[in-house]
Amino acid sequence: MNFGEFVFIILMLVTMIGALTTVLSGSIIYAMLGLVTTMFGIAGLYVYLNAPFLAMMQILIYVGAITILIAFAIMLVGPLYQKPKEWTTITKFVLALMVSLFSFLMLFKVIMRTPWAGGKAKAFRITTTDIGRMLFDKLALPFELISLLIVVSIIGAVMLALFSKGEK
Amino acid sequence: MNELNNIMSIIGKETVRAIIGLIGVLVLVVINALILTWAERKVAGHMQRRIAAKEVGPFGLIQPIADSLKLLGKELITPANVERSLFYLAPTLIFIPVLVSFVVIPFDSYLQVKDMNVGILVILAFSSLSVLSILIAGWGSNNKYSLIGAIRSVAQNIAYEIPLLLSLLPVIIIAHSLSLKDIVEAQNGLWFVVYQPFAFLIFFIASVAETNRTPFDLPEAESELVAGFHTEYTGMRFALFFLAEYTNIFIVSAIAATFFLGGYQGPILPGIVWFFIKTYFLVFVILWMRWTFPRVRFDQLLNFSWKVLIPTSLVNLIITAGILKL
Repeated sequence: MNFGEFVFIILMLVTMIGALTTVLSGSIIYAMLGLVTTMFGIAGLYVYLNAPFLAMMQILIYVGAITILIAFAIMLVGPLYQKPKEWTTITKFVLALMVSLFSFLMLFKVIMRTPWAGGKAKAFRITTTDIGRMLFDKLALPFELISLLIVVSIIGAVMLALFSKGEK
Repeated sequence: MNELNNIMSIIGKETVRAIIGLIGVLVLVVINALILTWAERKVAGHMQRRIAAKEVGPFGLIQPIADSLKLLGKELITPANVERSLFYLAPTLIFIPVLVSFVVIPFDSYLQVKDMNVGILVILAFSSLSVLSILIAGWGSNNKYSLIGAIRSVAQNIAYEIPLLLSLLPVIIIAHSLSLKDIVEAQNGLWFVVYQPFAFLIFFIASVAETNRTPFDLPEAESELVAGFHTEYTGMRFALFFLAEYTNIFIVSAIAATFFLGGYQGPILPGIVWFFIKTYFLVFVILWMRWTFPRVRFDQLLNFSWKVLIPTSLVNLIITAGILKL
């Protein structure tokens, strides 16, 4: 086993442990920390695959924005001093297991079918400039559509907040 | 020298550079905190027409060392009802962003641990971890004051992260690079603060808010929240929060100096001297602000960010992009 493989295995373990903590922990704050660990593991995998820009974006968006928002939501609405919850019911657990197994098999099949260009010859050499050019040139339409989607969801969230305020 | 070359040939130049860099960074963190604790007392004292620390050593210069020895000697108390793992994790976690940020800051044209082409993104991405550790500290302490401090900190950081990013973007557009070294090199003629005075102001205000300093120190407002998120921490754990806060002040000043004040560029004196002069000037301004401005109210704080800073920085960004495209 060389150094690269060793790093890869460590990153895999970090990602998996984080994911398992997210799913299995009874306390919501530990679940959130597990999510953060997973995101860092994935960012590490991106760095390992020579895509530092993607890795930094992963941390900036998922750890910096989304998890912090989740944490904020937990603190605002959650019961603040509740003890970690007991295990959920068996039926719920089995259902969750089935759903995740199903999605895993789907993804597994897709991954196995895709012809991967293997070997070291095709090293990943995309710079930030390339990504920027792609986003505003070739992929301009999808990019704009995604931003439209985000705007719609933001308006929806604001409307929901206003509506529930009016009801009080 | 021969031995160093031997070591380099065995474990590789990059690794040696990283190790030396890390040692340098740790030394700088400690020395900076010692200087800043002393400077803060002195600045505070003279602003209030007092003399401040003067007993220990000449001008009280040994005082910070005495203070740190005192902190090292204190008992580490773990209150009974804290969430132990979170309580221990928080002071350690707050140090990761601090250490990572130093990796990409160029102290001189040759003095930088690693020049990455995503340099500024590294600092911005990891800076979110400090919010997370404040959150964990507040939650893990199981204390209402800590928790209120943590919630305030998160709200404040969400609000001020956006103008912070938006104020850095015009500079990145002008310099055509995310690498901090390229940005400094691009300021060879004229500093970016001349082109981007508004961006500089917005960045400075937002970064003071990000470091939780007065007038934006609501997460640790002494007069209402005891000490905010670090109420329950004692001894070295408290000192770690303290160290991180002072290092954060240094880092935001260093980024401001790099982005807007030409970094290590300057006549006659060597680059590193210019870098530290500019950085510590900004640090002094931050200390000065603490003893000049009263603490803002929470709604004022959030309104200021969402209604003033974000629109201004957006307009600034659009105008800059438009002018560059002309």
